[in-house]
Amino acid sequence: MNNDELYSQLSAMFDGELPAPECELLARRLGRDDLLKARWGRYAAIGAAMRLERGVRLHGQLARRVSSAVAAEPAMLVGSSPAIAGRLAGPRLIRWWQPVAGAAVAASVAAAAILWLRAGSPDAPIIAASPMIASASASTSAADTSDAATGSDSYVVPPSVEGPSAAPPTELADFVVAHSEFSMPLLRRSALTSLVSSEAVSDSADAARRAGSTRSDEDRKANADPTH
Amino acid sequence: MRIRRTSEQLAWLAFVLTVATAACADEPQKWLERMNQALMTLNYDGVFSHIQGGRVETLRIIHRVQDGTVTERLVSLDGSGREFIRTGSQLLCYLPDERTVLVERQPQPSLLLGSLPRFDAATSEFYDIRSSRRTRLIGRKTRLIVVDPKDDYRYGYRLWIDEQTGMPLRTQLCDGKGRVIEQVVFASIATPAAIPDAAFKPGLSTAGFRWLREVAAPGRPSPSGYSFSALRLPPGFHISVRAAQVMPGATGLVEHLVYTDGVASVSVFVESHMHAGHTLSGSLQLGSTSTFATVIDGHPVTVVGEVPPQTVKFIANSMKGQPPPR
Amino acid sequence: MTADPSDLSLVRRVQRGDKGAFDALVLKYQHKVVKLVMRYVRNPAEAEDVAQEAFIKAYRALPQFRGDSAFYTWLYRIAINTAKNAVVSRDRSPVDFDLDAQNPDESYDLQGRLKDSETPEGLVLTDEIRGTVNAAIDALPEDLRTAIVLRELEGLSYEEIATAMGCPVGTVRSRIFRAREAIDRRLREVFEGGLGRAEELG
Repeated sequence: MNNDELYSQLSAMFDGELPAPECELLARRLGRDDLLKARWGRYAAIGAAMRLERGVRLHGQLARRVSSAVAAEPAMLVGSSPAIAGRLAGPRLIRWWQPVAGAAVAASVAAAAILWLRAGSPDAPIIAASPMIASASASTSAADTSDAATGSDSYVVPPSVEGPSAAPPTELADFVVAHSEFSMPLLRRSALTSLVSSEAVSDSADAARRAGSTRSDEDRKANADPTH
Repeated sequence: MRIRRTSEQLAWLAFVLTVATAACADEPQKWLERMNQALMTLNYDGVFSHIQGGRVETLRIIHRVQDGTVTERLVSLDGSGREFIRTGSQLLCYLPDERTVLVERQPQPSLLLGSLPRFDAATSEFYDIRSSRRTRLIGRKTRLIVVDPKDDYRYGYRLWIDEQTGMPLRTQLCDGKGRVIEQVVFASIATPAAIPDAAFKPGLSTAGFRWLREVAAPGRPSPSGYSFSALRLPPGFHISVRAAQVMPGATGLVEHLVYTDGVASVSVFVESHMHAGHTLSGSLQLGSTSTFATVIDGHPVTVVGEVPPQTVKFIANSMKGQPPPR
Repeated sequence: MTADPSDLSLVRRVQRGDKGAFDALVLKYQHKVVKLVMRYVRNPAEAEDVAQEAFIKAYRALPQFRGDSAFYTWLYRIAINTAKNAVVSRDRSPVDFDLDAQNPDESYDLQGRLKDSETPEGLVLTDEIRGTVNAAIDALPEDLRTAIVLRELEGLSYEEIATAMGCPVGTVRSRIFRAREAIDRRLREVFEGGLGRAEELG
């Protein structure tokens, strides 16, 4: 696109008269092109000058000060497309899931799956309370006798054990899942085993089945290979 | 850093072995960086236990980097049969107990196993990082790296890092009193030069399964116009992300703010108004995740984070809303 | 007043993290916001401070904006709110709050004459710009001048201008564009010592 065509689009966009698809493209460019931005700013100054408005500026401080202040604000992420904010991955929308050919269903099944990734299976066996982890189940008895012998760096596992309890509310599950994208510990899976109880999952799955439509055999075959 | 070919991986391991061991001895941050590099760039196949709140789950993780593409598979070995398979930016969640497969696109995918952030000058104001003793775990020489919080607003870590490969063989999340809140312990781990594609096929048949993929939220929720921020924060915490999301339980957009001290993150969710289904109130501990729910200016506020309970409560009670224009 | 696609596309870019797109919105509406704020805060320097505050508030509240109304209408309300608060907090004499009952689009009054003092520097700059722009407009060919006057002073849409001038919409767009280019060229000559010099945020 030569400059004339570009500036003509800029002028139309300034007047709100550029079709939406072209606006999307030009908006992208405008955000990062300082020369284009300056021209856009001069279009605004032209209009203000014609209307004999007070305080018409060409290189005013206001726009620059706002720009600096906005630069210092945290990153903004709205909507369904994840983006990078600093070192963090974008927020994971609690999404609406849809059968590949069907109506939208609630996200609880998805939340359950994500929770499992984050939190562990609800069916995990409960180990007996014990003061030192080394004496617990076989999978953790990876011989580390030096640990028991040392002083300052040995740690005590709290003896209390969370038994099965009432499942915490589903809305909390959604928040925890949304947060999990941002939790940075090595152990990204916080144990929410009591949150994802078998009953809660099958309730939501039933609701999902009632709300969604069944898929055809062709669809199932087409999707048998997930690497499409 | 993406490792494209096997020979490069071997070169990387050789480098680690001959150079890094001595050089890292006095620099705990370098050990953590090595660990992050290893988690991101090596091929590994291991079995580990995740221990939290008295429960244990055993899983297998397989991770491969080949020609710039990352492929991962995380399988539960405890009977549920659930698995996650990630190929590049596509994540498949197999839920045999639900006879469902979820298909997700992740433009910015994150490791299934997770890693720690870089520690820098700002972080060391609130965390002490030191290199501690060397021990043997599952027959491997490891170095213990300790991350101690300097106050009671955050948790700490103990990481046993394999001196040869950089992989974290055991990781513990601890509170200020040295109590272990959660841990991941490898029972076995291999770092093969190559992993065949067959290793990443799901271990179950999906015949008759329902396939779900994500779509944009239906409907147009209305904004409240309020915007919230924290009047006070625990030392070292600053805002990192401000976003708005659609959530199935809440009506309207939910404001989502993330505060971080560089290591720990806390999310604050503000809903646009009270609604009938809202039952949350007060503190609730979910494993290593602390949550606190309250109502501020008629808005349900829920705070979630891998931090001690008093931290989420502090932040929740510091939130203040700015009313909409008019 | 429906959401105009231009503002909406910029707002969406900001919501995805593009801070430069917010600069464009500021540049487009800064004069209107300052003018609006000056109904409450007479001092121009203070008015700019308040306008700055209003824009920051708008930025922070942007995640809540869904495009159900025009962006400027939404921004207008934030600016009024901010200005009122500024007045109240500075213990000024009561302001005529009926002002905000006026149509936000009434930015086309030609009054702009000063009653109270402006900084001499600001005054000169504004007058110089106005002088340059109006001289450039006088020098335009009639069809270009008519088009831009109908657009900027009468606030007509391209469709309406096409009807008024008896030409296609595409011609209207082209005429307005060429008028702007001619005026812009003159502005840059006067204020930047020639064309092609590096330009900063306007």
